[in-house]
Amino acid sequence: MSEFSVIGKSVPRVDALEKVTGKAKYSVDLTLPGMLYAKVLRSPYPHARIVHIDTSGAEKAAKVRGVVTGKDAPEEGVGWIRDRHILARGTVRFVGEAVAAVAADSIEAAEEALELIKVDYEELPAVFDAEEAMKLHAPVVVHPDLFQYTRTPLPYPLYRFEPERPNVYIHRPIRKGDTQKGFEESDLIFENRFSAPMMQHSCLELHNALAVPEPNGGLTVYDSTHVMHAHKADLCRLFRLPPSKVRVVSLYIGGCFGGKAGMIVPAIASLLALKTRRPVKLVLNRDEVFVDGTSRESMTIYIKDGVKKDGTLVAREIRMILNAGAYSGTTTLVAKNATFGAVGTYRVPNFKLDSYAVATNAPATGAFRGFGSTEVIWAIESQMDMISEELEIDPLEIRKRNILKEGEEDVCGMKTHSIGARECLEKVAEWIEWDKEPLKEEGPWKRGKGIAVGNKYTMPGTRSVVNVKVHPDGAIEVRHSAHEVGQGGNTALAQIAAEEFGTSVDKVRMVFTDTAITPFDAGTVSSRSTFHTGNALRLACQDVKRRIFEIASERLKVPPEDLGLREGVIYAKGGDKTMKLADLFSPIGFLLKGGELFGSGTYTGPLESEDADTGQGKRVVTSYAHGANAVEVRVNVETGEVRVVRNGTSFDMGQPINPKLCEGQMEGGLGMGIGGALYEEMVLSNGEVVNPNFMDYKCPSSLDLPACVDVKSMIAAVPHQEGPYGAKGFSEGGLVAVAPAIANAIFKATGVRIRDLPITKEKVLKMLRSITGKEGDRRSKG
Amino acid sequence: MRVNGEPREVLVEPRTTLLQVLREDLGLTGTKQGCNAGDCGACTVLIDNYPVVSCLTLAIEAQGKEILTIEGLDREGQLHPLQQAFIDHYAVQCGFCTPGMILSAKALLDRNSHPTEQEVREAISGNLCRCTGYVKIVEAILAVVNDQQKVSI
Repeated sequence: MSEFSVIGKSVPRVDALEKVTGKAKYSVDLTLPGMLYAKVLRSPYPHARIVHIDTSGAEKAAKVRGVVTGKDAPEEGVGWIRDRHILARGTVRFVGEAVAAVAADSIEAAEEALELIKVDYEELPAVFDAEEAMKLHAPVVVHPDLFQYTRTPLPYPLYRFEPERPNVYIHRPIRKGDTQKGFEESDLIFENRFSAPMMQHSCLELHNALAVPEPNGGLTVYDSTHVMHAHKADLCRLFRLPPSKVRVVSLYIGGCFGGKAGMIVPAIASLLALKTRRPVKLVLNRDEVFVDGTSRESMTIYIKDGVKKDGTLVAREIRMILNAGAYSGTTTLVAKNATFGAVGTYRVPNFKLDSYAVATNAPATGAFRGFGSTEVIWAIESQMDMISEELEIDPLEIRKRNILKEGEEDVCGMKTHSIGARECLEKVAEWIEWDKEPLKEEGPWKRGKGIAVGNKYTMPGTRSVVNVKVHPDGAIEVRHSAHEVGQGGNTALAQIAAEEFGTSVDKVRMVFTDTAITPFDAGTVSSRSTFHTGNALRLACQDVKRRIFEIASERLKVPPEDLGLREGVIYAKGGDKTMKLADLFSPIGFLLKGGELFGSGTYTGPLESEDADTGQGKRVVTSYAHGANAVEVRVNVETGEVRVVRNGTSFDMGQPINPKLCEGQMEGGLGMGIGGALYEEMVLSNGEVVNPNFMDYKCPSSLDLPACVDVKSMIAAVPHQEGPYGAKGFSEGGLVAVAPAIANAIFKATGVRIRDLPITKEKVLKMLRSITGKEGDRRSKG
Repeated sequence: MRVNGEPREVLVEPRTTLLQVLREDLGLTGTKQGCNAGDCGACTVLIDNYPVVSCLTLAIEAQGKEILTIEGLDREGQLHPLQQAFIDHYAVQCGFCTPGMILSAKALLDRNSHPTEQEVREAISGNLCRCTGYVKIVEAILAVVNDQQKVSI
């Protein structure tokens, strides 16, 4: 690491000062002259035909400036499969679907007007269970026109319907070898069913957008999103506006975790702004975020493993059923990409996987940190411990035996590169003193240790563009569109720019996420920014440096390739000629020859797409990050309460750009992971979310995490050959190994094996009472 | 009422919350709205140096009181030690919980200059953070405690 001057150093966050003083601006903080406030009327039924909507009362109400319904909404739909109108047309498909919206002079006036809108519904039969909905010729069909909907074009196969299963959005198969034969050759077969519930990202900043109609007929939208350029493209498409007339601006984002990619909020605000010709701000209430904030789908996972007595995996079959809810958003892509969670870690000679995204009348879903990998790894890593228990092989050892090695082909046929899974496991095991039995306590509390490993891929074939401007004072202005959502992206990118210019971070200025100023970026998704935006930034820096050296070459009479740059001084390598960067400029700030010093860089991630029927492909992801957790839990056998008392996390993010930021991602992943493991579940009753608030949906508080000294985050620096300085993204993977490590520790402490998340007190207590001494559904052959 | 040391006069409807007055009438948007139900703590401000969730506090209840928001914490450009510690210890991520978190911590330290880690955790247990897992936040607050101890020695 010593070869770098800024990379690998924990410099302070560049946004921290603004944030600790309350000066940092989020779109929800903006107010404009003449601004109206919007509110949305939502469906009370899970599935119903809209017979009639009467908005006349609302339109006449005081302070109301505009009312819109599905009739006013754009013709085109949203989602990868464009299955949803931004306001329902003809049919509502979940409790909470947006039906009408009002813009008024105040929030209160808008809320009062909603009550004056009369909607007649005719209830239709609904289906909530994904396995029920995916049955052959299911009686309730959520989208009768599913096969006809327009689909967003993608550079890899995604859309694959099951004509006889009318609610299946997509079916994603992976095939390798012959699992039937593999099971026959195995000594033992393990077969289990696991599940993970709907989760809400629970970003503290509520979903919001402020849409401003421009005099030229265009739109400016201040949008709390992490995929600004995709939103711009969708706004152009929906409202039939040319790209030159739509500007999307994202300020700081108060958390996203994948949850702010949906189009409903910015599109409704825009619809009202275009109608009223006034700026319109729409901020969802917290209960609306739960209902229509693209929560994580629930997933059921069936997993069957065949193993040799020494713990070697011979065959594995997985069936993943995702309850995508009423509208698929990005959950179609989740159903495809979640499979990588089952691909990236272990060597399995015979492998068969089928993943389904299924339409139901549950709330619409979307991306959530982990993008499905968390759920499938929950099943795999729980089952790995069940196998190790039966075979009496140490859980650490059985994992190490099966982990892919550098250069090996995974079950999709992609060559493994930059795999630190083994190192991560070893680090966390050592930290938690895996070899030592946990403390034996008197009384009801029992202790146990658990371990798990997982991965998170970064999606292939996406693009980032970065522009760099060098100011006469030597300051480097980085113009980029990777969102600052809290992860510290601006800091990491500033470090990359500083490294490239041989200067310090305080000489770098970030100009970010405004489509009028900053160039294209596929967005802050899939742990892709450090890798893609970072690579594009390096190219942009090299581009402008080339320009600098060309100009300086004439002045210094030294060939450009022999010039270097450090601390604002251009120098001849191996010589004594130097000049100040500032001296390239005239006193009023432009180049003595030419205009300004600009550079641009474009980076496109690798992609060699897969076969649609087998999932086999040479480059189906950009990279995999691997991580492991080792935890110690205390379980109260009288109450079922579980406390995580110690945790070690390790990730192999290649070259860390800023180790403290990496720690922060691992700790944040732990916090959300403990929430997902022990507490968090969106509970539905007849399709309605019955706990849409932080009182009834419990996110972990500061009291639910281990003491600071008992949390350790460790970096396993396993470089990636294509990443900037060997770095790769990993933050999205923060949760992947947390829940199974906790479940495995609970088993060690009590003999209780929980298969359905979250692991509530009630479940633990019930299982403790019904324990028969043998663990669940394992069976040995012969 | 006095806000950040200055007298402020606003005319409000009885149902108006303190949060609305701060954000909309006074332009103090450093105080955040996260749930409007008192569950998340993002809107925490200090009234007479006691932490309250301003979304559940009617503006008229604050009449004649001393309100401190995050904007009033630094003094003549000098950051409060908690603000500096949040920077130094990487306790900030998305930043949305940060103002409320810092103010809850200030209220604690003003009453108890030597809290234990458990006491710190209890004091901020009403402030949800979804980004950090609280580790670096608690470390930052404890660092201020330790620095104060050093000073008092």
